[in-house]
Amino acid sequence: MPKIAIDPVTRIEGHLRVEVQVEGGKVIDAWSSGTMWRGIELIVKGRDPREVWLLLSRICGV
Amino acid sequence: MKEKDTISQGLFGLGVSRRDFMQFCAAMSATLALSSACIPQIAEALEKKKKPYAVWLEFQDCAGDTESALRATKPNIAQLLLDIISLEYHETIMAGSGYFAEKALDNVVKNQKGKYIAIVEGSIPMKDGGVYCTIGGRTALDIAREVCGNALLTINVGSCSCWGGVSSAKPNPTGAVGVPEAVPGIKYVNLPGCPMNVENVTATIVHYLTFGALPLLDRENRPLFAHGKRIHDNCERRAHFDAGQYVRRWGDEGHRLGWCLYKMGCKGPEAYFNCPTIKWNEGMSYPVQAGHPCIACASKDNWDAFGPVYDRQSTIPGAGYRATVDKVGAGIVSGTLAAIAAHAIIRAVKGFKSKEQLAEIKKSEDES
Repeated sequence: MPKIAIDPVTRIEGHLRVEVQVEGGKVIDAWSSGTMWRGIELIVKGRDPREVWLLLSRICGV
Repeated sequence: MKEKDTISQGLFGLGVSRRDFMQFCAAMSATLALSSACIPQIAEALEKKKKPYAVWLEFQDCAGDTESALRATKPNIAQLLLDIISLEYHETIMAGSGYFAEKALDNVVKNQKGKYIAIVEGSIPMKDGGVYCTIGGRTALDIAREVCGNALLTINVGSCSCWGGVSSAKPNPTGAVGVPEAVPGIKYVNLPGCPMNVENVTATIVHYLTFGALPLLDRENRPLFAHGKRIHDNCERRAHFDAGQYVRRWGDEGHRLGWCLYKMGCKGPEAYFNCPTIKWNEGMSYPVQAGHPCIACASKDNWDAFGPVYDRQSTIPGAGYRATVDKVGAGIVSGTLAAIAAHAIIRAVKGFKSKEQLAEIKKSEDES
């Protein structure tokens, strides 16, 4: 049975991939994955705590 | 693909009046620091030329530059930006998903080869084969090579696509770089900022449409009209700097009175951007005016090169580009900045009278 992949999923912020398994016209399983990573958690590690908000607020600009 | 209208036809069709159109041309001429004699030339170009095809790519981004372009409070420059180009692909705002989205991009790259504008937002990860950003199963690097490599011109919007930005801050976990480093040899212009200012993007495109060439660029490939002047020199708090009136604590009297933010970490003396003149949100304000120090967001590696955001700039590395737009050497730079610091201290001392206050200033100078 077909597996359908939608990548990119648009009209969102970020990069998303969705895969669905279809059987007999029904979705029986689905997987979603964010396909972008910057490691901002690692970037703020050890930084002056006062400026961390500036970096973290840039995780999402929406 | 359908036949495109000329730019002005598109604008008038959306209810933009002739007067609005001429005002827009005048505003673009002013932003570009051109003579008002150029206004008719801009108007003529926008009236006669077909809209260029454009695609907007997003890689390691936060969509902040997209928001900066779209989230204006009234229909205006953002709408105009979308009306002077024919935007065929933009993940955040396009209707099609998956295959249909990729097909739209592919159509432009194949059918308009060498004729379209690629606008790029977000950095490109180089580590581990580029796995940290994939779209439609392809890496950002692969897409950038194809799309930017076949474009007439690449416009990097926001600091991430110019040189890596936030993603490339130490320790740069994904090996993020900007488009010029990932795809060397392409024709490009950098419009950095975190985010970029849509007025500068629009003005750059208008310049290109009118004169068939990019505006004058600095050594970082930033247009001089947008990045030729120091924030410090156009700052409305500058008089307070000269008078030795500084904010010393958040919410203190100086902060309430709009005094200089230099001691709170303002990087304005080293930052080149036209924020103080064009501002943000329809010319409403910009960070320094709102009471926050400048973080030099449009400067290369600003998250690491300038030290902690809220620490006063006391040690000045001799890197040339930060202190000058173009050709001033590192020696002159350090001298100038040392003079600024000395000037600041002298002014601060002069502004106070009692011994206790002088002692306090000296102490704070020593600490910082």
